[in-house]
Amino acid sequence: MKKKVLTGAVVMAMAASMLFGCSGSSSSGTTTAAGETAGEEAAGGDAAEETQGEESTGEKVKIALLVTGSFGDKAFNDSAQAGMERLMNEMGDQVEVQMIEMGNDKTKFEGSMLDASESDADIIITGLWDMKEITEQVAQEFPEKRYIIFDTDVDYSLGDLSNVYSMSYKQNECAFLAGVLAASLTTSDVEYANDDAVIGFVGARDTAVVINDSAVGYIQGAQFVNPDIKVMVSYVGSYVDSATAKELALTQYSSGADCVFVAAGPASVGVIEAAAESQRYVIGVDSDQALAYEGQEEANYIVSSAIKNVGDSLVDAVKKDLAGELPYGEYQVLGLEDGVVGLADNEIYQSIVPEEIQQAVNDAKDKIISGEIEVNTAYGMDEATLNEIIDSAQ
Amino acid sequence: MGVLQDILRTLSLPEFYFAMFRSATPVLLTTLGAMVASRAGTNNIALEGTMLISAFVGVVVSAFTQSALIGFLGAVFAGFVVSNILAYFVLKLNSNSVISGIALNTFASGGTIFVLYLVTGEKGASTSLPSLTLPSVTIPFVKDIPVIGAVLSGHHILTYAGLILVAVIWYMFKYTRLGMHIRAVGESPDAAESVGIPVKRVKYIALSISGVLTGMAGAFLSMGYVGLFSSGMTAGRGYIALATQAIAAGNAVVGMLASLLFGFCQSMANYLQSSPIPLQFIQLMPYLIIVIAYTIYCFMVEQRRKKKQLQAAGKKKG
Repeated sequence: MKKKVLTGAVVMAMAASMLFGCSGSSSSGTTTAAGETAGEEAAGGDAAEETQGEESTGEKVKIALLVTGSFGDKAFNDSAQAGMERLMNEMGDQVEVQMIEMGNDKTKFEGSMLDASESDADIIITGLWDMKEITEQVAQEFPEKRYIIFDTDVDYSLGDLSNVYSMSYKQNECAFLAGVLAASLTTSDVEYANDDAVIGFVGARDTAVVINDSAVGYIQGAQFVNPDIKVMVSYVGSYVDSATAKELALTQYSSGADCVFVAAGPASVGVIEAAAESQRYVIGVDSDQALAYEGQEEANYIVSSAIKNVGDSLVDAVKKDLAGELPYGEYQVLGLEDGVVGLADNEIYQSIVPEEIQQAVNDAKDKIISGEIEVNTAYGMDEATLNEIIDSAQ
Repeated sequence: MGVLQDILRTLSLPEFYFAMFRSATPVLLTTLGAMVASRAGTNNIALEGTMLISAFVGVVVSAFTQSALIGFLGAVFAGFVVSNILAYFVLKLNSNSVISGIALNTFASGGTIFVLYLVTGEKGASTSLPSLTLPSVTIPFVKDIPVIGAVLSGHHILTYAGLILVAVIWYMFKYTRLGMHIRAVGESPDAAESVGIPVKRVKYIALSISGVLTGMAGAFLSMGYVGLFSSGMTAGRGYIALATQAIAAGNAVVGMLASLLFGFCQSMANYLQSSPIPLQFIQLMPYLIIVIAYTIYCFMVEQRRKKKQLQAAGKKKG
């Protein structure tokens, strides 16, 4: 008897781990019809519940959003989720949204993508570099579906990808502004800055072009303010290893950096902790990271964040699609002038950053928009040029 | 030339050695855990998941009780529970220890995120939980010695605990009844049983000790190294410990040296990031050196074995 109960518990535990461990793919096969399983409600959270509220009329455009990782990352995925929620609020009569978290297991991404393509979704939205190749393959198999992929390009020469709209963000432009800010702060007399003209950059992976794009823009922005500045560049080698991220940041801070720009996804929290511990500044990434630390000591060191507003760009894209104006088969890069990237301007920024530096940042922004400054990009850049840029700031 | 200078400059920094101990601590504690389990004849593959769950439980318990000590005890208890689940699978239900371990690791990576979501509504990191951290300790007198003070004093309390536990585990294996029982059970369970050692109970105890040590490593990660839990934060440290444990081959002191070697390479990798060495090489260095060290070790053991055989053969002839 005892054994039976225990066996039951074990089976339950295993089922639970299947369900939660890969929350995304387990729910990806199901549709959004009302009365879903409890499991999806738990895994998909508010998002799933809201979707279930929608009754299918058959007229609505069905949108499936597939995110790598999960919601709650305080970055891209949350931004994308917020965008989808805005869509449902604003145009709930025209669209129906299903949101799927694919988890961190890359081997399941393709399956989830196929499931979504085989479902009745009209538009499939996904993003990030991990999904690039998968989209390139799957989109060709389902020519009647429309695909929107954000934060990466796709290789249109691979075949008929006229049903794929790809867009990415000029993170190099907001990184440029971050560079201007950091380079101005480091020699200013704000509280936690030292005298050395040394700043830092902590990226996730050196193999990710998005990350390098930030690095390139950051260095250029810093050199725009001070051509002799030293920019320490480190890579965690992972998006989740917050301890190593912290270690790298501590190394940079102890070597004289007083403002570090972090572009390391979820591992960024380690760098923010290092900043608070070393009493130095940090510039966050992707979303306004100070919001996650509201009311805590760490927030005081997050001077700003280089924001990519994925949600707004998705809302725009879907609206254009509904109006029949979205240029499928094309790759677009959205930047400062489209209003989807920028620096977070919050209370902390206002209180820490002196007026003249805020002015310098705004000037740089205007110059980028007017085309007076052209920011380098790591897209299409070869390794040698990239290294040259990084070396130029040593 | 520049590279060599970079390395030498790094080697002259006290902060470098300080960082070495810090990077080595989670691996050291887990290595000890892996060692106790493996000496009892069970490969504890679930270290990674155990560490992750402990890291998570430490953060949650300390946030809700507002006591770092209770949080730490919670983390250790979580390690104990998880290793006992593994023990139940392996010893009672006779399942394969590798497969059960992998199942627990997978469960941990999804389960921690799920519970984190239930508790905080977030899935990335526990930034909104007011969790506490365990203190760092400055050693009186030692801290005043130049250089050595900067390297040895001011570490996290669990770093010192890890170093002390090296001696404790070493002593346990060498001189205590329990240690000898664990070794006997690992070497030959049948022989141990024939002289009346309760084999399963000893294995249970060994796995529990393993879980407690790994739980401490988890607590170090989320309540010291970093002051919060972020999903997947163990980032393979539990698997590294399996490698260092293999190098140590049951010797706690060698295990400590292997962990410190890993810490050394890891912080060297951090410091050399701005040098002209290709980044990919720097990042693989800690793992490469562990593989090389293990290869050399195995080679030496093999040589010694052959030598012994030859000697034995020689004696027979003579």
